[in-house]
Amino acid sequence: MRIGVCVKQVPDTDSQLRIADSGRWIDDSDLNWVISSCDLCALEEALLLAEAEVSRGEERPELVVFSLGPARVEEALRKALALGADRAVHLADELLQGGDALTDGRALAAVLAKEHCDLVLAGAQSDDLGQAATPAVIAEVLGFPYAWLVMAVELDSRKHSLRVVRELEGGMNEVLRLDLPAVLAIQAGINKPRFASLRGTLQARRKPLRLEDCGGLGLDRGLVGAAGAGVETESVTLPPIGAGGVVIEGASAEAAAEELVAHLQREAVL
Amino acid sequence: MWLVEAAGGGPGTQEVRACGQALGGNCRGALLEEERLGPYAPGLYAEALRALIAPEDGEDPVPIVVLLPHTYQSAEYAPRLAVRLGAAYIASVSGATIDDGGSLRFRRSILQAKLQAEVRPKTRTVVATVQIGAFGGAESAGPPNHVVEVGRPADIEEHRERETLGREAAGAGGVDLASAERIVTAGRGVGGPDEVSVAADLAEALDAELGASRPVVDNGWLPRDHQVGSSGHIVTPNLYVALGVSGSIQHLMGMSGSRIIVAINKDPEAPIFSVAHYGIVADLHEVAPVLTRLLEARRSD
Ligand SMILES: Cc1cc2nc3c(=O)[nH]c(=O)nc-3n(C[C@H](O)[C@H](O)[C@H](O)COP(=O)(O)OP(=O)(O)OC[C@H]3O[C@@H](n4cnc5c(N)ncnc54)[C@H](O)[C@@H]3O)c2cc1C
Ligand SMILES: Nc1ncnc2c1ncn2[C@@H]1O[C@H](COP(=O)(O)O)[C@@H](O)[C@H]1O
Repeated sequence: MRIGVCVKQVPDTDSQLRIADSGRWIDDSDLNWVISSCDLCALEEALLLAEAEVSRGEERPELVVFSLGPARVEEALRKALALGADRAVHLADELLQGGDALTDGRALAAVLAKEHCDLVLAGAQSDDLGQAATPAVIAEVLGFPYAWLVMAVELDSRKHSLRVVRELEGGMNEVLRLDLPAVLAIQAGINKPRFASLRGTLQARRKPLRLEDCGGLGLDRGLVGAAGAGVETESVTLPPIGAGGVVIEGASAEAAAEELVAHLQREAVL
Repeated sequence: MWLVEAAGGGPGTQEVRACGQALGGNCRGALLEEERLGPYAPGLYAEALRALIAPEDGEDPVPIVVLLPHTYQSAEYAPRLAVRLGAAYIASVSGATIDDGGSLRFRRSILQAKLQAEVRPKTRTVVATVQIGAFGGAESAGPPNHVVEVGRPADIEEHRERETLGREAAGAGGVDLASAERIVTAGRGVGGPDEVSVAADLAEALDAELGASRPVVDNGWLPRDHQVGSSGHIVTPNLYVALGVSGSIQHLMGMSGSRIIVAINKDPEAPIFSVAHYGIVADLHEVAPVLTRLLEARRSD
């Protein structure tokens, strides 16, 4: 059995983001890049599923991580290998640049099919574009069953089936059964991702990392990257600061607290 | 233009209508009825809508916009509908415009709501989901011009890609946030499991319940039943104090109906300030303990 995990490298949203001079994207010259938060949970879930298989006396599934992006993405893949994935595939091709969830999902589906993954785990929503769509596109193209916002997974590899808990609004979950092969989009909070050990980091350097391009996947250049994308970002701006209310800024902690208490007394909420 | 509506309304119906209106109106409603279609599965609903919306073979392809609410159900299958229609897909839009030439623009949040983007579809057909609670003019938007019931696909079993076994509550449910008069919420900005006490102390001084944003729960700093937001509790207390909460749309959906909202955040650009009635731009670890002491002193007077 083979589990594929899709990891996207994104700018660390805790760092200061600056809008690029073009006004169409952020200035990415000086950013800290990390694996998108849900994808770390997807990888952790794959590791837990593999460990559970072993503890049941089954063969350990192979864990392959996939990422589409420019050269810097290798760092994210090495990180995933350090965390315990067995090997990595980097979908690196200039033609893929400027794509959207549909083009990237199609390209990822092609490489996942080539690698014959029985189970594909991805993040529920990326921390940069946040379309929450790429895993659904992968499922659609591969013709696999799909679930989004997955909060628990139990694998029955003998029966080729999954029992999955999916999040709903308002503190409710639904329980689903899906047959393999399947695509699951993992929601943050399903688990607590582990940290890479020094040993893992050293081992990662020797684990296989393969490059893949559009030609090798038989992808039509008109259907990938900017050429195939259905959407184009025209501008990015800071969100407008809404009407808002009274803002206390630059005061000492004591003065700020006193002013707030006075307001709250006037509002009769104390 | 098609507006996808659930039978009997449902969350996001008004926002979808408002988005349709912003794009020039003249909308048809596609009415989804679980009774007719059978239990929801993403492939099934995508197929039922495709069959209704896609032009017949030989028919002139006209520009089509399909709008759905960004609920956990429709946002699950909408990208698959987009693939089936050969459409562009734009998720959780909070604004939409059409110019004289008929070109569409959609606004959406990116990078964890730190920025917003204006995006333009390049294809004739567009599928977009509309953010709930963040679309202007939603209250007054009228229904579509006429409504068509979505039919059942012929080969229904083929599209039933998964089986629903049941529903369950996500958390233990020990905390009564829904009826709380006052809530103090710890966001990720409190910093760690040991620092949640700043929020807990302030909650105690205010005689308030303790709430949490999702990352605080995901990280295990507080149990799940403290979570406020679209996937947690929807709350409407008299007083809501947010400590180190950035104000993502999912969080705002859970608390923006509170009577008085107070936010303490060190980032003056944090979106929480646009819903806060009173905001303090400062390090919460400096201000919250002082505030707690002040309130305790008032109480013992
Ligand atoms: C399908 C889905 C459902 C979701 N449901 C929910 C939900 O129900 N509830 C929810 O909350 N989220 C939900 N989320 C997550 C949501 O998108 C945000 O990620 C989350 O709300 C952010 O939480 P936060 O504001 O605590 O953290 P962050 O966004 O990381 O914000 C932390 C804030 O703390 C401030 N800060 C840091 N240090 C300090 C300091 N010392 N003093 C003062 N301020 C400080 C920072 O400036 C920042 O604004 C959901 C997401 C998805 C995709
Ligand atoms: N370029 C990419 N490379 C690998 N995985 C991706 C890529 N883009 C999206 N994904 C996966 O799809 C998930 C959802 O992304 P999105 O549709 O952008 O919200 C991410 O969390 C990843 O798991």
